[in-house]
Amino acid sequence: MIQTLRRVFLTLLFLSVSTSNTFAADDAEGAQEPVIDVMGTVADHDYFKVPKFINGGKLYLPRIFYWETAEGEAKLSAYASTKKALASDEFIETDEGAIVPAGGGSIKVDLSITSHLVYFWLGMGLAVILTIMAASRYKKGIGRDVEPKGAMQNIFEVLFVFIRDDVARDNIDAHKADRYVPFLFTMFMGISFMNLFGLLPWAATATADLTVTATLALVTFVITQFSGTKDHWAHVFWFPGVPGWVRFILTPVEILGLFTKPFALAIRLFANMLSGKIMIIAILGLVFIFADLFGAGAGFGVGIFSVSLTVVLYALKVFVGLLQAYIFTLLSAVFIGMAAEDHHHDEEGYHTEHIAEEVSA
Amino acid sequence: MGLLAAGIGAGIVALGAGIGIGMIGKSATESIARQPEASGDIRGAMILTAAFIEGVALLGAVICILLALGIGQ
Repeated sequence: MIQTLRRVFLTLLFLSVSTSNTFAADDAEGAQEPVIDVMGTVADHDYFKVPKFINGGKLYLPRIFYWETAEGEAKLSAYASTKKALASDEFIETDEGAIVPAGGGSIKVDLSITSHLVYFWLGMGLAVILTIMAASRYKKGIGRDVEPKGAMQNIFEVLFVFIRDDVARDNIDAHKADRYVPFLFTMFMGISFMNLFGLLPWAATATADLTVTATLALVTFVITQFSGTKDHWAHVFWFPGVPGWVRFILTPVEILGLFTKPFALAIRLFANMLSGKIMIIAILGLVFIFADLFGAGAGFGVGIFSVSLTVVLYALKVFVGLLQAYIFTLLSAVFIGMAAEDHHHDEEGYHTEHIAEEVSA
Repeated sequence: MGLLAAGIGAGIVALGAGIGIGMIGKSATESIARQPEASGDIRGAMILTAAFIEGVALLGAVICILLALGIGQ
């Protein structure tokens, strides 16, 4: 039973989404590598996927290594592609597919430009370009002296005002909020574009990579800590208004809390984008499982169901992509707001604002 | 065994997230019905809370995927 389940599951994972290639591989070579496997589709690569008629579907990206030779000499080498790096005789490929220096030694930092990094740049670049385009219009007075012109500027204004009013000003103290709007807006636009890029054919979702989301969360973490007020640090290290011994429990918990917030931020975005991709591949993979188990007719029948479900999932993924960008931005704003909040405590440790409200009531 | 654990784990993750988000949805709709003028604020709080639950659930889901694919063995 478990064996059968395992076989079904593995078939699901490794069957190609591309029909012609699957059958060619099954007939001719048999034990050829799968053309598209699930993890391969969501993983980072050293090439940029393009339509098949350009260079066989792969545009190789540069590899840059900071490495140490066997003699302990530090070297920075750059190659146009993985093939060029291997052809230079300085690097060899291991059986697991990792690149290591040929004459011993080790790679210290792999600075290679990967497909996810390219999509990260594309997403952020598009956000910057759109913002600069809109800003130049506002400089000319369109949108200030007269009403905004065109669909682009109107959508931009709606999004910007939404981030400024509903995200920044609602969660961060009023006199500080506007300082964080550029950061929050960049995050929102950049993450939205990165999420939506994943829905285009041949493209990759940069945010379905933990390293990308962890970097974004790290930026939030650094900004949160640098905008922390005296009260924020007092809450972390010397919680006001509690008996002394409780602080021995509260301080470690609060310090841990500083790090779990960005960690959860990174995992949430990563897992949402990854699970969306895997779900689509799994549902499309059902076609090939049924074709494999019950013949081509069953595969065709399931195909009608699978493909229509995938279309619905795609629409859902557009929504989820924007929602996750909003949630990332909103939580960033909430965390910054919690750290940057000015409030005062009296000797008893009560928040003075609350006292004032009680007195007035 | 890894596959079995992943399957059971994914089921429990879905169960927990479903109960959690269901309870948020229940109380949010009740509050909106009671106070329709506050629906904007309630919706914002609802999305925020649901995001927290979703984050934990997806963390579980990722671990199930890793188990199923045998990564880390």
